[in-house]
Amino acid sequence: MAGRMELLSEQGLRLDGRRPHELRHIKCKLGVFEQPDGSAYMEQGNTKVLAAVYGPHQAKSKKAEGNDLVINCQYSQATFSTAERKNRPRGDRKSLEFKMYLQQALSAAIKSELYPRSQIDVYVEVLQADGANYAVSLNAATLALIDAGICLNEFVVACTASLSKSNIPLTDISHIEEVSGGPKLTIAALPTAEKIAFMEMSERFHIDHLETVIETAMAGCREIRDILERAVKEHLIHMGSAADWARVG
Amino acid sequence: METDTTDQSKDDILICLPGERLCRVEDNVVLGEGTYEQGGYIYASKSGIVSIVESEEKYQMVSVNKPGFHLTIPATGDVVTARVLVTTPKFAKCAIFCVRNVLLESSYRGLLRKEDVRETEKDRVDIYKSFKPGDIILARVINQMEQSFMLSTAESELGVVIAYASDARKNRIPMVPIGWGEMQCPQTTIKEPRKVAKVLPESTIKSEP
Repeated sequence: MAGRMELLSEQGLRLDGRRPHELRHIKCKLGVFEQPDGSAYMEQGNTKVLAAVYGPHQAKSKKAEGNDLVINCQYSQATFSTAERKNRPRGDRKSLEFKMYLQQALSAAIKSELYPRSQIDVYVEVLQADGANYAVSLNAATLALIDAGICLNEFVVACTASLSKSNIPLTDISHIEEVSGGPKLTIAALPTAEKIAFMEMSERFHIDHLETVIETAMAGCREIRDILERAVKEHLIHMGSAADWARVG
Repeated sequence: METDTTDQSKDDILICLPGERLCRVEDNVVLGEGTYEQGGYIYASKSGIVSIVESEEKYQMVSVNKPGFHLTIPATGDVVTARVLVTTPKFAKCAIFCVRNVLLESSYRGLLRKEDVRETEKDRVDIYKSFKPGDIILARVINQMEQSFMLSTAESELGVVIAYASDARKNRIPMVPIGWGEMQCPQTTIKEPRKVAKVLPESTIKSEP
């Protein structure tokens, strides 16, 4: 802890010029692919993620037990996503871990009682990794699920937070802040119900600060949700008016 | 959900998002597709257009429709249309491609056991005398198993509706039913045993007792 770099300048700005509570610029698009049932592209700063959803369809895997819904996720990072060429795009320890975390967070949001004995496949591809890969992947997966018309309790969004050396909480940390040695807290939340679906911490910090860092991450989640909601609404208006509000009964 | 929503005018289109609160739960409000109830309020569970349909006496159905999307899962009791894929002495494997009158995008697996082929003389049923791979059958879903849906044709209206004679030829003509247990090819006059569904043409329905 002692040797880590200061993440905030004297003027109170971060390494990339943001203020402590500022999110990176978010750009997202729904329905980017024709073949899957739902798809989305999400950009948060320089982290760029594609997500595709297939299903719900009849469970194919033998592991389907009883009446439960199977959420099958795949997390992969493109070989060109990092500064050094990545040799294994998927299947390494980190990807498998993220895959499990995605399943965990998504199962909290999907209304699984509506899809017994079904399977939903979620494929996430990180095109460029610049910090908060898991959070952006989950946000993209949520958008793809909405595009696929799968029933959700509400938006499930994720955000990261960190703590500067002077104990000021930072929202949505970038790769350079991650490697500069700040602690990283990732939260996936259902912001309206104020429920936390998933939480992960990469490093220790004093418990006195935990509450403020969690609150910072939750505030980030709410902010991201508002941005995503606006994007979905815009997409629906766009698609709906193109289809002349045709409805399939 | 076969509700008519065309009466809604284009001006008052209300778009909602998952988790958005729609209205309070009241006695005369019924939850429709794409909604759920929590803590006395009705919430949307997917993005789409909110439609409030006045159905019957004083009941309002609140539902969310997504343009150009509809998911159908066969439920117990539904009549489905399926194609026979494989027959074995004990059961026939089928691919369900139509539920009620809704065509599915992806097919579901169905299993028709020997005991469920017909109502009477169940022990004298032979699968290979009832179905052949490639037949189109009407069946009722009786149960949902882990891997597939259990089907039954134990009704006179259920069974084979379209079938081709086994001798393969280029211009295949569907066989014509000549009784509840046999079908005949109009070209070659070959007769083959099938569990035939009693599908009545509309003109003859009135003459039936």
